[in-house]
Amino acid sequence: MSDHADAVVALLNVSKEFMRDKIHIPVLSNTTLHIPRGDFVAVMGPSGSGKSTLLNLCAGLDRPTTGNVIVNGQDLGELSEAGLSRWRSENLGFIFQSYNLMPVLTAQENVELPLLLTPLRRAERRKHAGAALAIVGLEDRADHYPRQLSGGQEQRVAIARALANDPVLLLADEPTGNLDATSAHEVLDLLVQLNDQYGTTIIMVTHDPKAARRAKRLLHLEKGAFVQADIDALEAVR
Amino acid sequence: MVPFKYNLRSLRARKVGSLMTIFGVGMVVWASIFAFGLSAGLDKTLEIAAGPLDVIVMRKGSTSEAVSAVSDEVARDIIALPGIATNRDGRPLAATELVIFGYLPRRGQTQKVNVAVRGVLPVSRELRDGMQIVEGRDFRPGVREAIVSRAMSERFQGLGLGEEFEVRGGMFRVVGLFEAGGGAVESEIWTDQSVLAQLTNRTGAMSCVQFRAASKTDQERLINRIKADEQIDLNAMTEEQYYAEQAQQSMLIKIVGGMVAFFLTIGAMFAVANTMYGAIASRAREIGTLRALGFGRFSILLAFLLESLILCTLGAVLGCLGALALGDIRTGTMNAGTFTEVVFAFNFGPSVLLSGALLAVAMGLIGGLMPAIRAVRMRVVNALREV
Amino acid sequence: MMKYLPLILHNISRNKIRSLLTSLSIAMSLFLVVTLSSLLSSQDEITERTKVHNRVAVLHEAGLAGRLPIAYVDRIRKIPGVACASPMSWFGGNYREEKTQFPQFGADARTIFDVYEEYQIPAEQLADWQRDKTGCVVGSLIARNKGWKIGDKIPLKGNIYPVDLELTVRGIYDGDSTVDKEWLLFHFEYMDEALKEHYERIAGNAGIIMLRVESQQKVPTVMQTIESAFASSDAPVKPMTEKQFAQSFTEMMGNVRGFIRYTSIAVVVALLCVAANTMAMSLRERTREIALLKAIGFSQSSVLGMFLSESVLIGLLGGVVGALGGKLLFAAVDLSKILPGLGMFYIPWTTALYGLALAAGIGLFSGLAPAWRAANLSVLEGLRKVV
Repeated sequence: MSDHADAVVALLNVSKEFMRDKIHIPVLSNTTLHIPRGDFVAVMGPSGSGKSTLLNLCAGLDRPTTGNVIVNGQDLGELSEAGLSRWRSENLGFIFQSYNLMPVLTAQENVELPLLLTPLRRAERRKHAGAALAIVGLEDRADHYPRQLSGGQEQRVAIARALANDPVLLLADEPTGNLDATSAHEVLDLLVQLNDQYGTTIIMVTHDPKAARRAKRLLHLEKGAFVQADIDALEAVR
Repeated sequence: MVPFKYNLRSLRARKVGSLMTIFGVGMVVWASIFAFGLSAGLDKTLEIAAGPLDVIVMRKGSTSEAVSAVSDEVARDIIALPGIATNRDGRPLAATELVIFGYLPRRGQTQKVNVAVRGVLPVSRELRDGMQIVEGRDFRPGVREAIVSRAMSERFQGLGLGEEFEVRGGMFRVVGLFEAGGGAVESEIWTDQSVLAQLTNRTGAMSCVQFRAASKTDQERLINRIKADEQIDLNAMTEEQYYAEQAQQSMLIKIVGGMVAFFLTIGAMFAVANTMYGAIASRAREIGTLRALGFGRFSILLAFLLESLILCTLGAVLGCLGALALGDIRTGTMNAGTFTEVVFAFNFGPSVLLSGALLAVAMGLIGGLMPAIRAVRMRVVNALREV
Repeated sequence: MMKYLPLILHNISRNKIRSLLTSLSIAMSLFLVVTLSSLLSSQDEITERTKVHNRVAVLHEAGLAGRLPIAYVDRIRKIPGVACASPMSWFGGNYREEKTQFPQFGADARTIFDVYEEYQIPAEQLADWQRDKTGCVVGSLIARNKGWKIGDKIPLKGNIYPVDLELTVRGIYDGDSTVDKEWLLFHFEYMDEALKEHYERIAGNAGIIMLRVESQQKVPTVMQTIESAFASSDAPVKPMTEKQFAQSFTEMMGNVRGFIRYTSIAVVVALLCVAANTMAMSLRERTREIALLKAIGFSQSSVLGMFLSESVLIGLLGGVVGALGGKLLFAAVDLSKILPGLGMFYIPWTTALYGLALAAGIGLFSGLAPAWRAANLSVLEGLRKVV
């Protein structure tokens, strides 16, 4: 278990069941997984295979039925609802398929949003947000509202927002799902760059093999369990 | 904390809906202020009327001057009592006064209503602080001349400067208009006591005695002294008590006003709740995102409560401005204590406006609470997927 | 349209909280509007209904404050067309320590229940009262509120008249909803004799004289005869029909009636805004469904009709709760316990139904703009639109 300590994300014997109309629907069954620091993992699998559940568990948005989720050394099961909120604001970056920017806030303000939860002063927040926008190449769009941006630009703002608090782990849920090929390419370039230059650990759920190919590692989920998918298989696809 | 501008701009984004709600809340606040202003105006008029050291002496059991009688001998004894304040000439600030009902039509109407006509002595004027003639001149003693308040002269037929009116078969000419800072005396017609007494065959007794005590202790002592005298069978009370009792008779206006405010506020609460439920339903994804970014439940609750408060506060501002825009409305109604017309101005003072605004705050807090709780209880995972 | 009813009902119940909140806020406000206008209209309706009794009130020309000699009663009785007449002297006394007064009249025990022919009193109780000079009869409502039974003593402290009365309850009268059941009636002679002992000068004052005319047709002639009969006497009189008399009291309320109207209008306008906002919200959320309905062939007018019916139904629901609920509430709750003098208050059917119509109207108008937009929605755009 030498890599346990080094892992940013560790799922230990995690199971997750949903109840629907009194029927147990198992989503993840007794899964164990380690994701080391600096990794860039793509998670693929058919609908209902448990991809999103995996992300939600890592984000502490959902709790496992059994087992432990440990992120950056913190067992999420030990945290209260309020504790989880704070923990998320300090450790996580989130990217969604539909960007989920606040439509009434400008790009700059959207990026600043998670910084409001830190003790940073106003001027520092501005600087951080500006830097994050610069990384995604949108510093000239700081005062634009989401509706004035293209889909690709919106997603880049969302990435900047995810970066703003310098997260340990970046979770991306189908980040290219709503984008055209060119924009998707730009977004993926950005993720790879983040992973390379800043060593940010990324877990990305995707349907798109082209997107998955950009990751360092591929995990394939099938009926709630990881199927063998080593780097060779990924190479083969490439 | 979720930034303030997020709420502000969200309200702006739903422009029509927000404006409608603000307008609705505004109307409710306006109507409540209107109702409060009416009863507060009436109260204030009666409150101004009372001088803190002034005492009114009437027959035991009488609740208003017009139905009271105090004989001249007794009145002389009372006026001679020590402890009554004196004026510059060293004469006691005390006077008998004669109050009778006049029966006059309002301008533009034929139906007549009761108005108070007060027969006074020269010293009576000194018992009313702030009373001064603003147009014309004072009445001369011994002739049928009268002065009336400006408010009364605008409201009743025959009370304009230079016009004539009838009381108990006698014609009086209005020779002057006075103002008295909006007190109850502004609902009266003043004339010479002897003229009025002669006209109404009142001899040997006037309606009441009014005096100003030299100090609070004197006031208390004098009141007790008069009350204790079994022989004269009179009741003395401070003017404050006298007018407070009259104000109590206007309960109906107060109850109606309170009812208006109460039911409208509850109705508006439902409306605000509706607006906020709508806002929260259409912003489920935003709420989910905020939670995913690490905003806690409490921040979300606060944010949406704040949003509903902003709505209602804007409504309150609108309602207050609407009330102030009405300006200085003078009106009159029957003083249920004396059965005479009392003229007064609506009171849209700070405390009335504030109570209207407080209603709006209640609407915002209570109306916004259930929706905000729903926002908090929303499951983040589902909310994020909501389209 | 009937075949769409299930669909309409389904739409109303899909967002139950919203429909409920809208209906409730309409209900609250309508309750208020109906109550306020009943304050005005119930008085009118009662006086309107008493017209069948052909009663006339005779007042001193100077109004209620004037003094009518008691001898006038007999002179009036002799006038052709007059069936019966009784003095009605407002005593205005205080019962025990109570500050608020209830109506107490000195009347003629032999004729008063002929004048008020619809007031019901058991014959033996009436006879008991007529025999006992210090006896009185009271209305069923006030008897219940004060806990009075036959044989109870009622002390009244004089206020307008400087005498105290010690009365014994001899009977309790009752009647339908037009009957004021909060009166106390005592022998005029009892009060007058007490006055003669000490205050000869104010004795013999009948207050007003209430009489009943034999038939409706004779009312104008009788009124004219009475007026001219006393025209040149010391105390000229003014006869009024009972309705005019009642109106002269509401007239004394002054502009308060107007204010009640303004408030009601403000309430309705506020409601329109709020309800329109809700309808707009609920239709906006259904843009896609509406487009779908049109895509499968629903005409513009049926879409319009469907959504208008929805908003009218929600309005009506509020109307039923607010207006009809208000009517039932005031029928069940006795206001005279809370505020004496309101024992007669009720919500007339006409007002309740008018409130219901108003609710439907609010529903209709609030739905107009949103439904119009829905009806004219472009199918393609609507289907594409992600709300």
